[in-house]
Amino acid sequence: MSKKSSESFFEKVWKFFASLRLAIPVLIILAVASIFGTIIEQNKPLEHYRRFYSESTIKILSKLGLFDMYHSWWFLLLLVLFAINLTCCTVDRLPNVFKVVRNPKRTLDEGMERSLSLVHRWRKKGKVEELREKFASALSQAFAKPVETYNSDVLHLYAERGAFSRFGVYITHVSILIVLVGAIIGNIWGFKGYVNIVEGDQISRVQTRGSKGIVDLGFAVRCNDFRIEYYPNGTPKEYISDLSVIEGGKEVLRKTIEVNDPLRYKGIWFYQSSYGTAGATNITVDVRKKEDGSLIKRLTLLPNQKVKVEGVGTISAVDFDPNLQGFGPALRVRVEGESGQPLSFWIFKNFPDFDKRRGQPFYLVFSGIDEIYYTGLQVAKDPGVNIVWVGCVFMVLGILVAFFGSHRRVWLKLVPQEGGRVEVVLAGAANRNRLAFEKTFQRLKEELSKV
Amino acid sequence: MGTLNVKLFDLAMILYGVASLCYIVFLYAKKEGVGKVATLVTGASALSATAAFIARWVESYKLGIGRIPVTNLYESLVFFAWVVVIFYLLFEWRYKSRTFGAFVLPIAFFTMLFASTTESSITPLVPALQSYWLHIHVITCFIGYAAFAVSCGIAVMYLLKEKQEARGESKGIVGLFPSTRVLDDIVYRAVIIGFPFLTAGIITGAAWANYAWGTYWSWDPKETWSLIVWLIYAAFLHARITRGWRGRKTAILSIVGFLATIFCYLGVNLVLSGLHSYGGS
Repeated sequence: MSKKSSESFFEKVWKFFASLRLAIPVLIILAVASIFGTIIEQNKPLEHYRRFYSESTIKILSKLGLFDMYHSWWFLLLLVLFAINLTCCTVDRLPNVFKVVRNPKRTLDEGMERSLSLVHRWRKKGKVEELREKFASALSQAFAKPVETYNSDVLHLYAERGAFSRFGVYITHVSILIVLVGAIIGNIWGFKGYVNIVEGDQISRVQTRGSKGIVDLGFAVRCNDFRIEYYPNGTPKEYISDLSVIEGGKEVLRKTIEVNDPLRYKGIWFYQSSYGTAGATNITVDVRKKEDGSLIKRLTLLPNQKVKVEGVGTISAVDFDPNLQGFGPALRVRVEGESGQPLSFWIFKNFPDFDKRRGQPFYLVFSGIDEIYYTGLQVAKDPGVNIVWVGCVFMVLGILVAFFGSHRRVWLKLVPQEGGRVEVVLAGAANRNRLAFEKTFQRLKEELSKV
Repeated sequence: MGTLNVKLFDLAMILYGVASLCYIVFLYAKKEGVGKVATLVTGASALSATAAFIARWVESYKLGIGRIPVTNLYESLVFFAWVVVIFYLLFEWRYKSRTFGAFVLPIAFFTMLFASTTESSITPLVPALQSYWLHIHVITCFIGYAAFAVSCGIAVMYLLKEKQEARGESKGIVGLFPSTRVLDDIVYRAVIIGFPFLTAGIITGAAWANYAWGTYWSWDPKETWSLIVWLIYAAFLHARITRGWRGRKTAILSIVGFLATIFCYLGVNLVLSGLHSYGGS
């Protein structure tokens, strides 16, 4: 194969990857493909899929990678194609844009004059040299400071605004690549994990999702306390964990975290994610007289521990819910009376009179619990996240520049004529928002014809 | 019995409906007077909705909750309808044509009608939603959605007009529409307003997710659908500068984009999560 034909082959491939004709199908195929992963639930255990699909369907879907579609080879290939398209398009066109911006066409030749739709010409008495200054200053005032070029005895004035807006598209394209780079860095050098810490305990290792297994943090995190705050109507207002970072046997940082307010230490973030009870100690239940509410006996119970109360029976705490049906902390107690069936029922910390309704001579009040919670924390390290944010900022800026900026160019040509006259040619072009530029051009025409 | 803000929103809804009817009558009757009434009613509806937002904001402070009213389904729907109407008024003023009204105002009206079936009381926020990111996220997204709604309405007009222009006629209601060139331009302008807002909406959502859960992108259905919408409009923007795509195909992309937007907002919650929650244990 000769060198020339191989070059043209590569050129063809290059043009294909840089083309708009590729961009549109890639965008549409990415959009359509993304839909599948929202219809088929992702990354669920096999038993979950068995409830919806037959074994043979599961086999096919699994072969196609549809259970973890966004990480499947073909979806990643689509993303790679998308990235190649962006890169080639940018590399292909950016040099030309630099050329147009740094070295614009400062003279108005005839071919260009014919191609532009906004052209206006008139005649004026005087010499080019005399008129030069007047037109230059009028153009600076009305539009932008012009550059002067003499072409034999013809004077060209060129002024432009918003040349930078030509970069908007490429800023946007590069910003997407930056986001992708940030995402890749995060995937390689970061991790996402999850850990439960019982109040009073500390951990220094985290189970991560994916292939990284258990990660050693290099320091320990202790949960000093976990608590829940409620709105007056009983719905949870805030989940709060009091955490300490321990390094080299010393507490180096202490922070109370909430949902939307994480802890950060050495690039690792800890997010309030869930909680649960890890058992209870010392449940306080008061036994009171129904007539006057006076205290018969205060019981301090351990879970499931049976305590006998004279004239009432045997009482034990069998279950606890930190927020039963939105009514706040509730305790399920079991009462084995001296006669009759054992009863079990809920009593509520926030409603001390609740048990009066049973109509016994005594009632039980749930007055306190020393409960041991565990806090569930998401743990994440993502060294690429700041790169992603940089990309995002440039993306928005790039889009704004690309759509709302416009490169507006104005040429003014002074051509000496016979009989001490000068022909003035005014021409203009804008690469975006041409309607608005037409108005600008009209105004310029009026301003400059006054000169 | 609704509170003041809900009554004002209901009034706005009725006015959106009346304005829609006026714009439709205007198309058939071709009487300038009817058109003026339509514009006046639309202006009044926008004022009523604005007052309703202020009232709701004040009421939330009185309840001790105190936040911008853009935090639940009802609030986001009424906000969306309000932005659609504001955009519409801007486009009517900019392009000096009232023919768009019949295609855009009904979007606001039906949105409000749907909103009125949802829970309208002001409730406190669960911990996951207590973030400044919530407000900026919802506001940016819905301004974007509203711009896409306007674009979609005018894209429908474009398709009708194009059919007629192809036959070389200019009569009836469609004859009153601006030329396809102008309609195509408005479809595009609405999208370029919406696109940066949608982009910012997705980014603020990602930033918030990162701050709340430690992951800015997890391919959950909501995120993915917002990306799908973004990709469709990205395709639209590229199609518009490609020969052979401009015009009819871009108008269709604008309509498809808005349908995807609706699915992203409502469908994901109603259909997909429904599928999940019923399907799950």
